[in-house]
Formats: sequence, structure tokens, C-alpha cells
Amino acid sequence: MRQPSGRRFTALVTGVALAAGLASGCGSGSGAAKKITFWHGYTDAQATAIGRLAGEWNAAHPKQQVQPVFSNNDNTLQKTLASFVSGKAPSIAYQYGSSLSALTGRRQTQDLTSLVNGSPDVNWNDFFPAARQGATASGKIYGVPALVDNLGLVYNKKLFDAAGVGYPKPTWTWDDFRSAAKKLTGDKRYGWAYVSDGTEDTVWRFLALLWQAGGDLLGAGDKEAAFDSPAGQQAMQLLADMAVTDKSVYLDAGDQQYLNLFNSGRVAMMWTGPWDLGQINKGVSYGVQYLPGKVTHASVSGPDIYMIFDRKAKDAAWPFLKWLTSAEVHLRFAEQTGDLPLRASEQKLPAYKSYLAKYPGNKVFIDNLNQNVTKARPNIPEYPRISQVLGTAVQAVLLGKKKPGPALAEAAAEVDRILAGS
Amino acid sequence: MAATVLPARAAKGGRPRRSRRLGEHLAGWGFVSPAVLLIGLFGMLPVLWSFWLSFQETDLTSPGEFAGGAKYAELVRDPLMWEAARRSAVYTVLFVPLTMVLALPIAVMLNQRIRGVTLYRMAVFVPLVTSTVATGIIFNWLLNPQFGPVNAALAKAGLPQQGFFQSPGQALFALVAMTVWGWLGFAVIIYLAALQAVPADLMEAAALDGCGRLRAFRHVELPLLAPASGFLLVWLTINSLQLFDEVYVTTKGGPLRATTVVVYHLYNKAFVDFDGGYAAAVGCVLFLVILAVTLVQLALTRRASSYEVR
Repeated sequence: MRQPSGRRFTALVTGVALAAGLASGCGSGSGAAKKITFWHGYTDAQATAIGRLAGEWNAAHPKQQVQPVFSNNDNTLQKTLASFVSGKAPSIAYQYGSSLSALTGRRQTQDLTSLVNGSPDVNWNDFFPAARQGATASGKIYGVPALVDNLGLVYNKKLFDAAGVGYPKPTWTWDDFRSAAKKLTGDKRYGWAYVSDGTEDTVWRFLALLWQAGGDLLGAGDKEAAFDSPAGQQAMQLLADMAVTDKSVYLDAGDQQYLNLFNSGRVAMMWTGPWDLGQINKGVSYGVQYLPGKVTHASVSGPDIYMIFDRKAKDAAWPFLKWLTSAEVHLRFAEQTGDLPLRASEQKLPAYKSYLAKYPGNKVFIDNLNQNVTKARPNIPEYPRISQVLGTAVQAVLLGKKKPGPALAEAAAEVDRILAGS
Repeated sequence: MAATVLPARAAKGGRPRRSRRLGEHLAGWGFVSPAVLLIGLFGMLPVLWSFWLSFQETDLTSPGEFAGGAKYAELVRDPLMWEAARRSAVYTVLFVPLTMVLALPIAVMLNQRIRGVTLYRMAVFVPLVTSTVATGIIFNWLLNPQFGPVNAALAKAGLPQQGFFQSPGQALFALVAMTVWGWLGFAVIIYLAALQAVPADLMEAAALDGCGRLRAFRHVELPLLAPASGFLLVWLTINSLQLFDEVYVTTKGGPLRATTVVVYHLYNKAFVDFDGGYAAAVGCVLFLVILAVTLVQLALTRRASSYEVR
């Protein structure tokens, strides 16, 4: 899940401001030879990088002109669906992996399974498992991985030194983590930060906890809730112990202040992904470590994907996507943006060394991809509603409004109802 | 007006020349057609479409199926809908009177001949022209429970710390405070305009009759403000029942749904759950509720302003 990195509101404003321009922009391509409209939510360095790559492609392929258009991150699903109604769907659009299940049933959404299977040069299994899972729903491939990330423990070294707490180790347990957070908490300072707005931002961090405790979200076949389990209890209890009992957690209401607070030394640890590293102030000396563990040190990935929505542009858009996500091209993109590699083979390219030198913090996240990101969120149409229910339950526990037990039981009953189709 | 003109013409027995009337009609339609087209296209058509949509089972993108009144039945049974309705009611009952009661004294003060009055008037109006998104960000920061200036001031004054937008019990009230701040300028301008429309000779006559400033306000100005109050009552009520933007940019309906008002519930249903029929049904019900409330308010206001006719 590519986070708007504290620029959620800016993105919203720009998004609204651009909506009018966008509508006219994507309508104007009909007369030209072969225009591939490409909606994305890239800003700053990422926007520059994608613009440069599109330019490179266009120079080599005058008959398959790609036109990158900034749409938005947070509302990209809504905008894409709106474009279906207006009949002006983009050829390609960047989508959150969590939006996939809302898009699979649509006439405009292109099934890429045969294209992927029919082109050995795609080397599909070279993509990290999390990336592949993010693009797949009920056995069909609907997208090409655009971004794969995961959560790591990012900490402020100075605050650890000041509190006399040893830096996090790869073998840290939940107890180590909790007691460190408590020691790091002081006057207007918090050991940890947790996004408590009840959205997917709240949920996916909980999923990591759930998996670390050896639990899972849904039972086999995704037919019923499985999180009202001892593992779920332990995960919720940790949140309650830290947020309610120790008060060592800064609860971020969804305006992504946690990063600013990390920068100003008010928050000592955050569970975040590589996208935030670029936003950490130069003066802040930070380290990155695996998430703490219980049974495992599981991390969670929010892979994002490029999807094709225009049947007529499919044949023209496919070669571009193949090229854009090939190891060499993507590594060049990653070197400019700090994205993680999408493919295992990127780690073997000569340029990978300079990439790592430029983004030393990414090492842990890449190792995570290789060993700690084994499970994925279920790509089922009910997921958005399940996420809402679970998000509310986690929020209630964080705010001390519900005990872990009842919160889990009520949420599980609700999720069972949703899965039963009522 | 047409009703009074036509019989007069008929009485005179003069038949208007057909061609000229047609020409006038065409010119008239020519003048109004851009507005009619725009309002029809972007106002009426969506309203009718959503009415039709409310009888469908649709995810908004693929063609829907006719569902009869199922969506309305679902809506009535949905506890979340009733919760949202109760919140909208609480919000409206607080927001509308508070805005009006605060605006009136400010308007009276700004109606005085004081140095720099333009500056003060502008200051009052600025929140209204500030974008909702900016307002939301500023209030999120001001009311941040851990690091916001408001809690810092409370701590200095020895008062307990508050949760504001992050407290399920306080979020709706914080929203009321923020929106009253945002809308105050609008109400002040309306009252100010009404105050300036009070004829000077009326006030003069009251003064000559030995009426003090306070009594003149109570018995001359205040009654003359009734139409303005009526307008504000209707306008603010409509807007507060349609509250959405402010919620979206501050609390996103949370924490724990504490600020999920009717239109936010509608948004969730339409664009998170993709249940277009249900969302449209909420919209239609809201339309009827607003229509009913407005009609009652208009009737009451008309009675209160009836001195105009006398």
C-alpha cells in the first residue's frame, strides 16, 4: 500500500483540483494513433521518474504512446469506477492491492492470466511472492506488480540512547518491544505510534500482529472468521496493554502525524514501510529492524498493481507494462524513488549495489520480503467490509472502549455474517 | 404575476399578436436556456437518476437489477442508519441555533460606526471563504489531544485534557465547534445586511418617542430581522443535514463511528461498500426529510414575519 506519506490532504486537494483537467485530458486521446492513458498517483521524485521512463518508451515506440496522467492515490478506486460509468476508462491504472477485489467483477477489468502464461519473458515467478499474490484473485492474474513493500520497525537511535535502551534486535520478542516502548515513553514522548482511524491502515498492522502470534484472519477457503482465536486474543491484548495500560502508544487519528512526531523526537518507534524513509529528516539518526515476534516475525505487505481497463488498448498496454516491470527498468525506477525491488533477480543486477548504497534502510525490508512476508490479505470481494469491521474492533480496543475478548467475538460474528452473504 | 396580467388583458378584449408573443417567448427561453440546461443537467437529472437508482440493486458500474422497495426496507432495518440519523439530528439541533445566536451580537457590533470596521467585517468573513480542507487540517492540529495548542492551554489553566476528535464522546461536539466557526461569517453577513436595511427613520422615530437603544433593538430591529432569521434557519438546517466535507477531512466518520452522520453513511454505502441502491435510497429519504423540515420552518417564519403584510 503506497502511503501518501503525510501528504494525504495535499493529494486530496490536488486530486479535486485536477479532476476537471483529468476528465478533459483523458477524453482527448481518441483521435491519435494509439494513446495509452496511464493513471498513477506518483508525486515528486516518483512522478519525475515515471515521466522519464514513459518518455523513453515513447521515443522507442512511436505507435504506442503512453500518456501518464496523475490521478490520485487514496481515491483512485473511486475515480476508476467513475470512469467506467463515463465510458472513459484509463488504459492502465495504478491500484492499491486492497482494491483488486472490488475490481475483479467488472467488465472493464482485463484478465491477464493468458498473457502472463503466454509470455515466458515475463518470468512471473521472479516477482516476490507477496507481489504475485497481490495481483491474483481466485487463481486469475488481474495485474502486474507495481510496488511491493512491507512493514519494518523504524526507530530513532538518539531516543534509545537517551533512555538507555538497547537497539532492537532481529530476535526481539513482543515483551522486549513492549518494555522498550514503555521505557521510551515520557513527557510528551511516546514509545510507539499506531494509526487508529479504523481504516485498512489500522487493519494491516494488526494482521502482522495476528500472523506473528500464529493466527490468521480467515479460515480455510475464506469461508469464516478465524481471528477470534488465542492468537487474536494475544495480538489484541498487546495493543490494549500498550495503548491503554502503559499509554506508550501515540494514536494517530489518520492524519499521518506520526511521521512528523518521529521527526521531532516525540515518537521513538514506528511500524512503517520504505515509503516513509525518504521523509525522515536528515538530522534524525534512525535504524530499521524486523518487526518483533511471538511465534514468527511476520510482516505484512500491501502490494500495489498496474491494471488494464481498456480491452482495445490491451495489446498495446501489455508490452509497456512488461517493459516497465522488467528487472533492469524497475531497478532504475527504484534507484530514483527508493521503491523496493519487485523481482528477486533485481538483487543480482550490477546496479543493485549502488541502489543499496543509496538506500541502506531498505536492506531490512528486502530481507523481510525474502523471508518474513509469507502471507497475504485475502483477495475476496468481501475484504473491504471485513476490513471495516476489524478496523472498528481494533480501534475500540486501542481507545479502551472495549476489551479484546468481546471486541474480537463481536467482529468475528459480524465477519461470519458478511461471508455468509447477508 | 402572470395570473394578474392575463385577466386584465382578457377584459380589454385585446388579442396579443401571435407572432410577437412567440418571438417574446423564444427570446425569453433563449435567455434562460443556458441556466435551465445547466440546472437540468447537473441538478435535476442526477436527482431523478438517484430516485430511479434507489429501486435498484447496483454496484454503480454494472447494470443493476430492479429491487423494488427492498433498499428502503433495508434502510429502515439498518441500526447504523438510525445511529447516523440520530447524530445528524443532534448535530443540527446544536449547530443551527448556536451559529445564529452567536452571529446576531457580532452583526450588531459590526453595524456600529467604529474605526476599522471593514477590517473586522473581513475578519469575520474569512473563515467562510477558507477551504474546508484547510479548516480541517488546522482544527485537527489545534485539537490534537497530545500536542495541540488547545490542550496545552487547558493544561496551563489547570483544566483536564480532552480527546476532541479522537474521543468517541467528544468528536461530534468538536465538529459542531469547528463548523460553527466556519459558518459564523455567513450568518453575520446575512444579519448585517438585514440590519443595514432597517430604515433609519424608523430608528429615529423610536428615539424621538423616547425609546432607549436596547428597547429600540428589541422592538424595532429584532422584529425586522425575522425574515433574515428565517432564511438562516432554513439554510443552515439544510446544510447541517447534508454535513459531509468537514467529517471527511477531520474524523472520516470516526472514532468508532461517532461522527458518521447521514451523508457520511451514504458515502460509505456508495463508495466503500458499492451498494448504489441503498445509498440512493438514503439520499431520497434525506431529500424528503429536508423538504418536510424546510416547509415547516418556512411556515413558521412566514407567521413570525407577518407584520410585513399588516
